[in-house]
This record gives sequence, structure tokens and C-alpha cells, in this order.
Amino acid sequence: MKELRIEDLNCYRGSHLVLKRLNFSINSGETLLVRGDNGSGKTTLLRVLSNYIRSYEGNIYFNELKIKEDKNYKNKFTFIGQKNSLKDNLSVKKNLKLWEFLYNRKILPIEILSEFNLSQLIDDDVSSLSDGQRKCISIQKLRFSESILWFLDEPFVFLDEKNSKILMKKIEDFNKNNGIVIVTTNIDLGLKFQKEINLNV
Amino acid sequence: MYNLILRDLYLALYSSANFFYTSSFFILILVLLPFIFGTSIDQLQLLFKGTLWIGLSLSIILTMERIFNTDYEDGNLDIILQKNSSLEIIVISKYISHWLVYCLPLFIILPLLSLLFYLNTSDVFAIFLNLLLGSFGMIFIATFVSALTLAAKRTIFLKAIIMIPLFVPFVIFGSGDNSWLILLALSMLSFVVSIYVSTYGLRLYGES
Repeated sequence: MKELRIEDLNCYRGSHLVLKRLNFSINSGETLLVRGDNGSGKTTLLRVLSNYIRSYEGNIYFNELKIKEDKNYKNKFTFIGQKNSLKDNLSVKKNLKLWEFLYNRKILPIEILSEFNLSQLIDDDVSSLSDGQRKCISIQKLRFSESILWFLDEPFVFLDEKNSKILMKKIEDFNKNNGIVIVTTNIDLGLKFQKEINLNV
Repeated sequence: MYNLILRDLYLALYSSANFFYTSSFFILILVLLPFIFGTSIDQLQLLFKGTLWIGLSLSIILTMERIFNTDYEDGNLDIILQKNSSLEIIVISKYISHWLVYCLPLFIILPLLSLLFYLNTSDVFAIFLNLLLGSFGMIFIATFVSALTLAAKRTIFLKAIIMIPLFVPFVIFGSGDNSWLILLALSMLSFVVSIYVSTYGLRLYGES
């Protein structure tokens, strides 16, 4: 049983205290939905959990180890941010090839694209894709690492109903394999997850 | 580390003609010389050396945004920072890949270019050595300026204003004769400063 636990987290952005005395814990196989208005600190929370932001008060434990001190923590999570990590002037196939080097892992492009039914786009330039299609490809970064934690920042934005369902299915399957997911959103999607917190005071 | 270098080399290859752009830029600047200053050989040989340094500085300034800024803007830096254990390794791989992509082509065409200007072999060798040792230091400087100005988008002029004064010592000693030891020292000095400042810049990244 693995657990991600946050104790008394305070985090400043500039002079604003965006995360105020935050406490929660998630166990393996659970998904946490983080709600909150714009600027309420959803992205900040995920960037703190991904160790990108290191100046905060309070403690974050994963498996009873502080994430700041755990050298292997970087291999345990995948963060899908709002930036797509795609180069606009290159084709989808070439972008996937570049990811292969970054993640040090080879996966067939067709395997990655078929999940969201995007196989026909393999030779298209990213600049000709719609925002939703880019988002789907960006979400497939999850395939490149075998992590136990998924941090998804607004993953449902731009996705149509069909692709949202595919993503939901992905999250459920991951939960069944004891994965932990944290999803942020600021609109009511009518989705049901095991846990929910609201960052609005 | 190898993966990051390979990735940057593939990126340059895919964004086709990057290799050719800098060297063609370089050639064209040199070819302009006779049109401006006339065809007297003595004068041109004197100008050749100076123009090489201007060409090198400009091609480094024009491509510096590709070191960290473009990866920052599209989010690839998130992956790079997560997947590499130390910031120093990231910075060193960027030095290597950027030098290979944007400086190496210049050194390949340099001997050919010097034929155009009737330079003898020993002169070419001295110029080549100076330029080579200076180019390392200039890449180190460009890298730390790029790392410190990650979030400043489309500010190539600001970056040039920061960088050109730092290039001055290289240009002064580079255009002199027998100064390769000083250039080597300058490059080593800028390496020490650059690796420290660049990792500091990347560390601030999370906070931006």
C-alpha cells in the first residue's frame, strides 16, 4: 500500500500565499480531483508535487519518504502540464521520436496514436493539428514512463466527449493497477472520483 | 546525457537546414567584404579575420534562443528537468550539442573560405585555433544568458545587449596573433562561471 501524504503545505507565488495549510492523503488505487477557480493554486500544487517548485513550507511524503530527499522520486511520477511539449514546425512522428530520446524509451508511434484514434495524423505537422488533437498526443506522454503517480493538469480541456471517455477509462485502468492520479479542473464535468478537494477558501 | 545530446542533434536535423543556415550566413557575410571594401588582397586579408569574429558572434547570438528558451516555451524543459538527475549534466549536454550544431559547420567551411582570400596555411591555422578556442567560451556565455532569461520571450535584442559586452575580451584577443593561450584561459574561466550561473538559472525555473 503506497500513500502520498501532504502535511501543512504553504506555498507562496510572488507575494501571494496560494496554497494555505493544505492537508490530504491519497492511497494507491485512488484518484484525487482538485477543484478551484483560476489562480487558486491547482497548477502550483501539481508543480510542487512534481518537485519543480522546491520552496514551500510543510512536508510531502510518498511512501513515508520526503519527496525532496528521495533520489528516485523523479522516476515515480509523470506530470502532464498545460504546455504540450510539442514542436510546432515538426511532424507528429518526429515529435514522438524526440520524446523517445528524452524518456529513453522506444514505443511505436502507431501504438501511441491509435489509442485516441489519431493514427492518420502521423505525418502531419503539429501546427496543422487542433488543440484537442495536440492535447491527446500530449496525454500520451504517460506511455513513456512506468510511473506510479500521474499528475494531470486540466487534462479534459479541449477534449471532446469521446476522447474524455477514453481518458477516463485510462485513469480507471491505472487505478486498478494501484496507480495514484491527481487531476485538476475548474469546471464541473460530472465525473466521479474517489476523493475531491476544493482549493477555494 | 548522450540521449539529451542525440535528441538535440535530431531536433536540429529535423528542423532542416539549421546546419546550413549558420554556415551560409557565415559565407555570405564574408562574400560581402569585397563588394564593400574593394578587391585589394592585403586589405581583404586584414578584414577577413575581423569579419570571422563578427560572423561567429552574430551566429551565436541569433541561435541562442534554441539553447533553453524554445524548450521552455513548449514545455519540453519540464521533461528534461525531470528525467536528468543533475542540472550540470543538462547544461554540459547543451554546450556540446549547441557547439556541434551551430559552430562545427563554421570550422568545416573555414579552410575553404580562406582559399577565397589567398591566405597561406600557417595563417589559416592560427585563425582556426583562435576561433575554435574562442567559440567554446562564447557558447558558455550564450548558455548562461539563455538560462537566466528563460521566461523572457522574444527579447533577442535584450539578450544581445547583455552578451556583446561579454564577447569583447574574446574578440580583442581573438583578432591578435599568437593569443590562443589567452583565449583558452578565457574559455576556461567562462566555463566555471557559466556552469554555476546556468544551473542557478534552471533552478529558478521551477519558481517562475
